[in-house]
Amino acid sequence: MWTFPIIETIHILALALSVGMIIMLDLRLIGAGMRHASAGQIMGQLKKWYVIGFGAMIASGVLLFWSEAAKCYRSNSFRIKLLLLLLVALNAVFFEIVYKPRMEQWEAGQSPPAGAKLCGWCSMILWIGVIGFGRWTAYGMK
Amino acid sequence: MIALAVLHFFHWADDTPVAAAIRGSTWVFAFIEVFHLLGLTLLLGTVVLVDLRLCGYGLRRQSLAQVASDALPWMLVGMAVTMGSGSLLFVSEAMKCYGSPPFFVKMGFLFTALVFTFTLHRKLTKRDAPPPPVWGKVAAGLSLFLWFGVGLAGRAIAFY
Repeated sequence: MWTFPIIETIHILALALSVGMIIMLDLRLIGAGMRHASAGQIMGQLKKWYVIGFGAMIASGVLLFWSEAAKCYRSNSFRIKLLLLLLVALNAVFFEIVYKPRMEQWEAGQSPPAGAKLCGWCSMILWIGVIGFGRWTAYGMK
Repeated sequence: MIALAVLHFFHWADDTPVAAAIRGSTWVFAFIEVFHLLGLTLLLGTVVLVDLRLCGYGLRRQSLAQVASDALPWMLVGMAVTMGSGSLLFVSEAMKCYGSPPFFVKMGFLFTALVFTFTLHRKLTKRDAPPPPVWGKVAAGLSLFLWFGVGLAGRAIAFY
């Protein structure tokens, strides 16, 4: 009886360590803060932490899905959330392949190239969508 | 006397036109809650970032003061979004909150977290010289305990 709310709470509070950390990286990419660190430094130093965060996120998310798979199957919000997560993953893989190898060359005070900035914007907007449609799924709305 | 003033305040909040408007729609409450979660992500994200650094983890190539000053503006944005949306959520179900013990626990945690963050914690993180490791860890632990306490108690409002 208490299991669902507890897992749900873990799912929400793990946002801080997963999406929260990624958004700090995205903000650096688009040039909106975190000026004292380069994007490469942020990614390198925080990787361990957001991997833990996303581990907790996925594990709790799978359990929540499992407990109401039938409801999720019929939910359009859930389908959109999954689609947005797929786009998030594609965006991350694209960034990893195209920009990650060059990241070390961007200095702390320097602005990343336009394409990398675009990746930052996409990541942020997609994650906002994931959180929004995740909440909508929980409400059981179409 | 104080108890009566508190009750009056909750009644007043519950009776505001804003509260009635939010209650009158099924999706407005959910929409405001999404903003509450987005603000929470930013607020707790920046809190975790600074507290990790206080413990000697995370952004170690930057100084504590640098991490704290970089995180501060976004922590304030996170606070504004969370507290703005939270106030709207509160007025829309003020009388439910009045009967909910977790709501008062949450407000206790929130008040303490705000005071701690802007006094002792801020003092410790804005100095150029890092604090002794033990005090850094104590301050980080207390900060995480207080802010995650706000989140946990907040989640519990829905169940009590």
